Amino acid sequence: MSHNIKTVARPSKSFRDKLYLPAIGDGLKVTFKHFFTNLNDSNAIDTLEYPEEEPLDITERYRGLHRLTHRADDSVACVACFMCATACPSNCIFIEATEREDGKDEKMPKSFFIDTLECVFCGYCVEACPCDAIRMDTGIFSLTGNKREDFVMSKEQLLSHKGAFGEEVSCARA
Amino acid sequence: MSTSAIVIAIISFALGALLALLTIPVLVWLERRIAGLVQDRLGPNRTNIGGFRLGGVVQSFADVVKLLLKEEYYPSHIKSGKGLFMLAPIITFAAALLAFMAIPFADTLLINGESLRIQPLPIDFGVFWYLAISAIGVLGVIFGGWLSHNKYALLGAARAGSMVISYELALGLSIVSFIVTYDTIDFNAMVHYQSQTFFGFLPAWGIVIQPLASIILIIALFAETNRNPFTVAEGESEIVAGFMTEYTAMKFAMYFMGEYVAMNTASAVIITTIFGGYQLPWVSTQILHDNFLIFSILLMIFIPIIVGVLIKWMRKNNRVRPSVSTDSGRNFETKVLTIVMIGMTLLVEAILIYLNFFNESLLADSIAITLFQIMTFVVKLMMFNIFFIIIRWTVPRFRYDQVQKIGWQYLLPLALVNIFITAIIVVGVSL
Repeated sequence: MSHNIKTVARPSKSFRDKLYLPAIGDGLKVTFKHFFTNLNDSNAIDTLEYPEEEPLDITERYRGLHRLTHRADDSVACVACFMCATACPSNCIFIEATEREDGKDEKMPKSFFIDTLECVFCGYCVEACPCDAIRMDTGIFSLTGNKREDFVMSKEQLLSHKGAFGEEVSCARA
Repeated sequence: MSTSAIVIAIISFALGALLALLTIPVLVWLERRIAGLVQDRLGPNRTNIGGFRLGGVVQSFADVVKLLLKEEYYPSHIKSGKGLFMLAPIITFAAALLAFMAIPFADTLLINGESLRIQPLPIDFGVFWYLAISAIGVLGVIFGGWLSHNKYALLGAARAGSMVISYELALGLSIVSFIVTYDTIDFNAMVHYQSQTFFGFLPAWGIVIQPLASIILIIALFAETNRNPFTVAEGESEIVAGFMTEYTAMKFAMYFMGEYVAMNTASAVIITTIFGGYQLPWVSTQILHDNFLIFSILLMIFIPIIVGVLIKWMRKNNRVRPSVSTDSGRNFETKVLTIVMIGMTLLVEAILIYLNFFNESLLADSIAITLFQIMTFVVKLMMFNIFFIIIRWTVPRFRYDQVQKIGWQYLLPLALVNIFITAIIVVGVSL
């Protein structure tokens, strides 16, 4: 036997342990304490009454629903480079590019769809974007709809989402 | 049989059926709410009918509707024994329900010299009835598990069968020592015995006279009802849902409800054999009769206090936090319930005043005492059900072999030794 092996003594099995009932009594003490405390004042329980109470602890790093950012002059920041669609592991970003007429850049998206039913909210698109044009800082955690089509976000919808943490415009495209 | 006998028989039967069946939704709700409160959650509290949520108990009725409306799916691989497959949950449910029927809810009522039992089945061999009928319940489990043609179900059924063999013995033997002590097999006479005093000051409850047998009885009944810490017939992590793996919708609900009726029955048996049944400690029916005036005045003092505490608790807890914008009708509900509770209290007070000062008939007094005993029984029953539920959320499950070991190596010898000691003491006292 190697001298590195340490034999750890098992916790002793006293008569009290073997009886098992005192341990159940101790457990009951804990559960009854919780039960009566909470029964006495159920509003003090640290839970959210969800639909009426919204969570307040969403941090800046929380990956919520996507949005497309604007430039300072309110035009689209996206240059339709397809980086996000390439990085996307679930292939849920569908971009169609078109020529940009206002002289700010060469390309812009004609349509930009994100299928949020396919999306795994990994945030790779945000990491890949060279223009800071796509972000997940909306703080929106709940998305509902009546049919599948409701969950496919179009360019207009994505542009209409507001950032929840102050940074409104794209930091990369002035 | 006189008219009053027939009326009392019908009333007590209806009472038994109501107590057994109407407590199912309440128990399911209690289980979920208590689980929540023990784990610092809230549990179901939203379902309501017109703003009345009654703490969320409406949820259980919504669940019943859901189960009734579900597709009655019949597994196609089951070719033989379809009839028995459908019958199995009913056997379990019926056995639990019938076993409950031998419990007395109040002392025998004397009407025109006829003594009438407030017991759904007016039998004087209740202990044997309970032992015989409750043991049938496991047959439903075994039939269901075997006929499901499914490995998990078969394993669950085998486990349930072996568990019954090992715990039925300990249960029966612990009850034998109660039979020896109380010298009766009639539940009602057992309660009578327990309304005496022991050593002059302790109530002669089974838990005081026979502590060891009481503990064995409680443990064996926990095993008998298949509840934690003895859930071996079903186990998510090992054998999926055990014997009810192939059961859906109302067939499943029958097993589910049977489990709760069995729990209710076990609670009733425990309080009847060891916690004084429908009696308050130290107070027998005779004492209540002799001191009816004092008793009713005490009631008239205590009922408003209890109702006041309840109303205060409701006003404190049936509201939302200030941060929530809408209270979804909770305020209105609190108001209505307060009015209803105060009204009922006033009614009871009026009845008690009438009984005391304007009424000479002894029959009315004894009916009032019977109602009081039924109330005591229900309160005790619910308290023990809550104990059952809290145990479930306290103790982790035993492994299957540990369950067997406890049953055969500890409970059975202890029960036998206890019978021995009891018999020696009882014979010694009577000499």
